[in-house]
Amino acid sequence: MKRRTFLKSMAATGVAASMTGAGVLTREAEARKKHDIGEIKSVKIDVLTETSWFDNDQFKKDIMDYGGGMTNQYIIPWKWDNAGGYSVLLTVTTLEGKERKFMLDTGWNNEWMDYIYEKNNIPAMLKSEEVEFMVLSHWHLDHFWGIESTLKHKPDIPFYVPKTYYPEDMALLKDKAHHKAKDKNTGEMMHICKNDVPHTGKLVLCDPKGEKGEGIYRLMDGVAIRNFDVPILLRVRGENVLYFNVKDKGIVTVTGCCHPGILSLFSYARKNFKGYKPYGCYGGLHISLFETWEPKFDDIIKGVKAFKIKRLGCNHCTGWIWAEKAAAEGVPVIKGTDKYKTYKKFSTVAKTSNVFLTNGDTVTF
Amino acid sequence: MNANADTEKNFNYFFGLLNLAAVFCIVWFLWYIFMNPNTVMKLYTPMYGFSLVVVFLSGIILMTKVIDYSAFIEKLPAAENIIWRGIIMTIVAFLLMLFLVYIVFWGFIGKFGIAYFSPDSIVAAGGIGAEPYAARENASTAIVYFFTAFLWISLFWSVGFGRWPWQKLSSGVIAWSRIFAIFFFVSIVYAVLFHPHVCYLFYPAQSKAGVDPWWGELVGTGSAFFGLGLVLCTLFWIIISDMLWEGYPWKWFEKDGEGTFVKALVTFIATFVLGMIMLFILTKIMNVVWDEAFVGGQYTDGPDFRYIHAGEIAGFFILAAFILKNYFNNFPNTGPIWLRALIRTIIALVIGMLFYWFYYSPLATFFLAKVVGFAQPGDTPLVWVLLFLSIIMVQWEFFEGWPLKKSKD
Repeated sequence: MKRRTFLKSMAATGVAASMTGAGVLTREAEARKKHDIGEIKSVKIDVLTETSWFDNDQFKKDIMDYGGGMTNQYIIPWKWDNAGGYSVLLTVTTLEGKERKFMLDTGWNNEWMDYIYEKNNIPAMLKSEEVEFMVLSHWHLDHFWGIESTLKHKPDIPFYVPKTYYPEDMALLKDKAHHKAKDKNTGEMMHICKNDVPHTGKLVLCDPKGEKGEGIYRLMDGVAIRNFDVPILLRVRGENVLYFNVKDKGIVTVTGCCHPGILSLFSYARKNFKGYKPYGCYGGLHISLFETWEPKFDDIIKGVKAFKIKRLGCNHCTGWIWAEKAAAEGVPVIKGTDKYKTYKKFSTVAKTSNVFLTNGDTVTF
Repeated sequence: MNANADTEKNFNYFFGLLNLAAVFCIVWFLWYIFMNPNTVMKLYTPMYGFSLVVVFLSGIILMTKVIDYSAFIEKLPAAENIIWRGIIMTIVAFLLMLFLVYIVFWGFIGKFGIAYFSPDSIVAAGGIGAEPYAARENASTAIVYFFTAFLWISLFWSVGFGRWPWQKLSSGVIAWSRIFAIFFFVSIVYAVLFHPHVCYLFYPAQSKAGVDPWWGELVGTGSAFFGLGLVLCTLFWIIISDMLWEGYPWKWFEKDGEGTFVKALVTFIATFVLGMIMLFILTKIMNVVWDEAFVGGQYTDGPDFRYIHAGEIAGFFILAAFILKNYFNNFPNTGPIWLRALIRTIIALVIGMLFYWFYYSPLATFFLAKVVGFAQPGDTPLVWVLLFLSIIMVQWEFFEGWPLKKSKD
């Protein structure tokens, strides 16, 4: 129903006047001091692994059997053989033509992560410091619990993490923790994660204030982290998001799960970055996590089109059905390849439409 | 006025505060057992727990405001003892909740009529996302919406129509008549405001069963959180006018102390318009705090969140009104009605804001295992507020205010 039609019908009942403007009100965003984050020539993204779990139904069952989305992730005895991980290798080409590498997230299941890292020559890049530093998007199991697979090759790698950690998180990072959770059926304590290689390098705890009160952490010219302090599923809080300003193209966001919402990320950039131009995004977009639907997901498709995002690369918690519907409705979704099928495991919800950038795929913005 | 002043003089406000603290602890205990995601029952998934709480409260409203159960049990020996009466009626309300959720909706309507009211029927229908957990959440969502419509219509009916037009008939006739009339209008409200949303909880959308949410272009979201927020803001005015304004100004339209059609019409239109204005003002305030929402925004940027949050704020105010009325004797009780009403409303708004602050403070992490922050997906303070309201109603409707109030006077 159009606004005019609706208002006409409301007018008949004498209440139209009070409804005027009751919807989403538009006003100019308050004037803010905008920051120049610099520029890069390009950013290349290697999808190391986006399959945090392989069987959606099993992962959801684990959550629901132990209390639903608000449950503490450390009290769930996750099915170990369903665990994978999320990790990305980023290669920035500076305006001077120099290539600089860093990684986002460290995955979950150590066997899976070791397999993935070997396949992509990550151990050698870590040891040689070709990978300069790591960024943790958030403290969720599938992005962080595989930390040992990284630290065993480079325990002193500089690490940017959200400040909103829990004691269990820091114990896993620093104190050789071996976490277990109780199986409610058998009473048995089940292994859920471990790390025998404590992190010894520089640890930057990111919060929304940013360094120097700018709201961002500058990693290099044209690259910044913004921490969004939002409550997340499984008792986690806060997410680090990567912003890239690609010369002549515009802003590109790279996310782990994008819990704050992809449009909120671009909205932040629009309000805070000088010379803002929307261009692209990559990552989990946290929409139809379990391949279910709700009217809000249609809102997001409309919003992405309204924000004029030119290239949308997605995977992980985006939901195949959302990506397919978005592509069908004209969102410029970047298609992946069948390379993931050469991996020893892949997701049960992967489809031939290839609307996800999946394991082994690469995209350059 | 003298009688009111005497009441005020005789009321022990400290005891009221103690009673409130005790109820808070009971709610905390119940939350810990049934809802806390890290403890025993873990029902706050969230929609499953939400549906049980809203149906429990609806059951209490059905028994007290629609059926007026007291007229039927006065002759029973157990009814003379407040404690026995309270225990029995609480058990009846609990059984009614189980009956409505598991027999009426999951077992009957969902099995033989509208599939989405039953998790089993959703799973049996198959298709994308039709696994037991999503199915239970979706069925629960539909039940929550249905009983939200019920709360609105039944409480409006109680304030607007009262016993009209059946006031000269027996209690049984009044009860049955009100049940049928209320559920008739509840079905219409549900079909228009909420059913389209539920039909779009599936992929592909059940577009032959429900229209594309018609409010989408108007309010910037296809989510029925718009309707939910509007209904809750409207309920706020119904409840405070009934409790804090002593039924005014609607009482001016009564005849011989009974409701009239005009009274109901005025009450309905006025509270609905006030609800819309409240929704408008609250979303304006949120625009100032969080900037304007936009289509497709998530967390505090989402129009859907803004609307449900307006409803959540209304929920805090409603809870505050119940507390002021029941535990603080509707203070103040002297002065002209307009002044009393104004002061009570201001007090209720202040108490409501205190609850708001509580829910979004680290205290809620301790008491409710909630993660600090706004707009957490799957979290709504409405569940805690409705549970709190349920316990207050159990004490005041079934136990007649015992132990704070020991006799009917």
